[in-house]
Amino acid sequence: MIGYVARRLLLGVLQVLLVAVGVFALTEALPGDAAVTRAGDNPDPAIIASLREQLGLDQPVWERFAGWLAAAVQGDLGTSLVGPRSVAEVIGSAIGPSLLLAGLALALLVPLSTGVGMLAAHWEGGRVDRAITSTTLGLYAAPEFAMAILLVTVFAVQLGWFPPTAIGSSLIANPALLVLPVLVLLLRPICSLSRLIRAGTIEAQRSPYVQHVRRLGLSPARIRFLHVLPNAAAPAVQQLARTADWLLGGVIVVEAIFVVPGLGTALLDAVSARDLPVVQGLALVFACTTVLVNLGADIAARALSPTSEVGR
Amino acid sequence: MSKYLLPGVLVVVPVVVALLGPLFASVDTTKDVAFLLGGGHLFGTDFLGRDVANEVLLGGRSLVITAVTATACTYLLAVPMGLIAGMTRSRLLDEVLMRPLDVLLALPSMLMLLLLAALAPGNMWVLVAVVALINLPDVVRISRAAALSLSTRPAVEAMRLQGEHRARIAVSYVARAMRRILAADLGTRLTGAVYLAASASFLGVGVAPGASDWAAMVDRNRTGLFLQPWAVVVPAVLIVVLSVGVNLLFDRWLRNRDVNFLEAR
Repeated sequence: MIGYVARRLLLGVLQVLLVAVGVFALTEALPGDAAVTRAGDNPDPAIIASLREQLGLDQPVWERFAGWLAAAVQGDLGTSLVGPRSVAEVIGSAIGPSLLLAGLALALLVPLSTGVGMLAAHWEGGRVDRAITSTTLGLYAAPEFAMAILLVTVFAVQLGWFPPTAIGSSLIANPALLVLPVLVLLLRPICSLSRLIRAGTIEAQRSPYVQHVRRLGLSPARIRFLHVLPNAAAPAVQQLARTADWLLGGVIVVEAIFVVPGLGTALLDAVSARDLPVVQGLALVFACTTVLVNLGADIAARALSPTSEVGR
Repeated sequence: MSKYLLPGVLVVVPVVVALLGPLFASVDTTKDVAFLLGGGHLFGTDFLGRDVANEVLLGGRSLVITAVTATACTYLLAVPMGLIAGMTRSRLLDEVLMRPLDVLLALPSMLMLLLLAALAPGNMWVLVAVVALINLPDVVRISRAAALSLSTRPAVEAMRLQGEHRARIAVSYVARAMRRILAADLGTRLTGAVYLAASASFLGVGVAPGASDWAAMVDRNRTGLFLQPWAVVVPAVLIVVLSVGVNLLFDRWLRNRDVNFLEAR
């Protein structure tokens, strides 16, 4: 187990490193640079040149990358090219709302999808099951932004139950703000996870070991939660790791629609302002998160079901 | 046949609007007041004062074409890659083809979309390339796994003993036998491509500022949601209907095919 974790950790570090190289190369290829952005309208070539020198943009690419990576390892991600703040400050101020949204969505996701999946499995083939399976199959495909805007139109604009955007008030002070964003974030992951839980539960219920504990006379609740669920959950836990990626994409879209000042909004702003240090810093944060969540989920899946083969 | 009725309608309506809409759209582009409700317009006017119904007719083509083209590109690249990686005897070639894909998988797709598309804002082909690239690792893995298991079949061994060239075996037998497995995956890829293309256009990636595009309409008409919801609701509903329809249709088709397959045995 320790060897497995060490191997995966090493692969993870390699992945993050390669992502860093890739993102650096990509941002290099972006047309225009921060000096041009900063020089404003009617730019004077002399001003652009002096800005480039000041920002260190006149040095060769690989030198800048080596310097950036060495500093990043020590926790220094540089300063934003557009504003006066450091990249760490930009990330630090934006991470709160995103973590709140993602954390809340994840915390609700696990019990909700387990519940829905087990409900469908309990009445396998019945009307409830058919309703749940076709709804989850259909909704899984719907893009978040379209669902979000339809929910806003119905519940915020027409019915006025929830505020349409988070402009001008804090998320914690006003929990009603969180309802629609978290609902939108949950829609797609719930669909895929509950389908997996359903399939896993049905399979586990038919397996010989469950029939055996049934014959032993254990209570149905005990069988369901202590014997069926852990085995049914293993594939779902792996799927949960892939949710990290969607959650991120979902967070970017949801933050854009509900005007939440989180990491997604910071990324959108940084990309459109060509604020390369911020883009690189955010990309590094996202890559680390994805790798870590994948690692955590693979280890959890292995612990839940030691015999199943996990990854390589 | 009734099994296909609902998903069929869900797919056909938005696709027909998207592909044939531009033929029926009016060329008359005189602008009215922005965010007008009614006023001689079926769905009112948009943020620039254009007729929403007309914009809806014009705006679907880019989404459908982007999604279909990107999926086609994914398969064109992924199937040969998977075939070579699965059938080669060189471990090195296999690793060289497959390892970079692991990195691609670790890269959050929305991040990739935003970065790559910032290279050429307003260019549909960049969007097609990025969507194709995001779908690539999964399809290569599936093709490789399929090729690997197919290449150990007795038929392949027999062809090898007869002295057939490996490239010929790969194309004439393995690739043909892979069709079933790849077809089963097509629905997921197409749904994913529609999802990515629409989400990207919504975030302002790959669409020119004044372009007619369903996802971009949702984004740009959001400011007038309180004045005139139709400009947002109509394109949003069409996008949802298209995505849900594609997913349901392929699921029905697959299940039906599996039933036929089992009965035939």
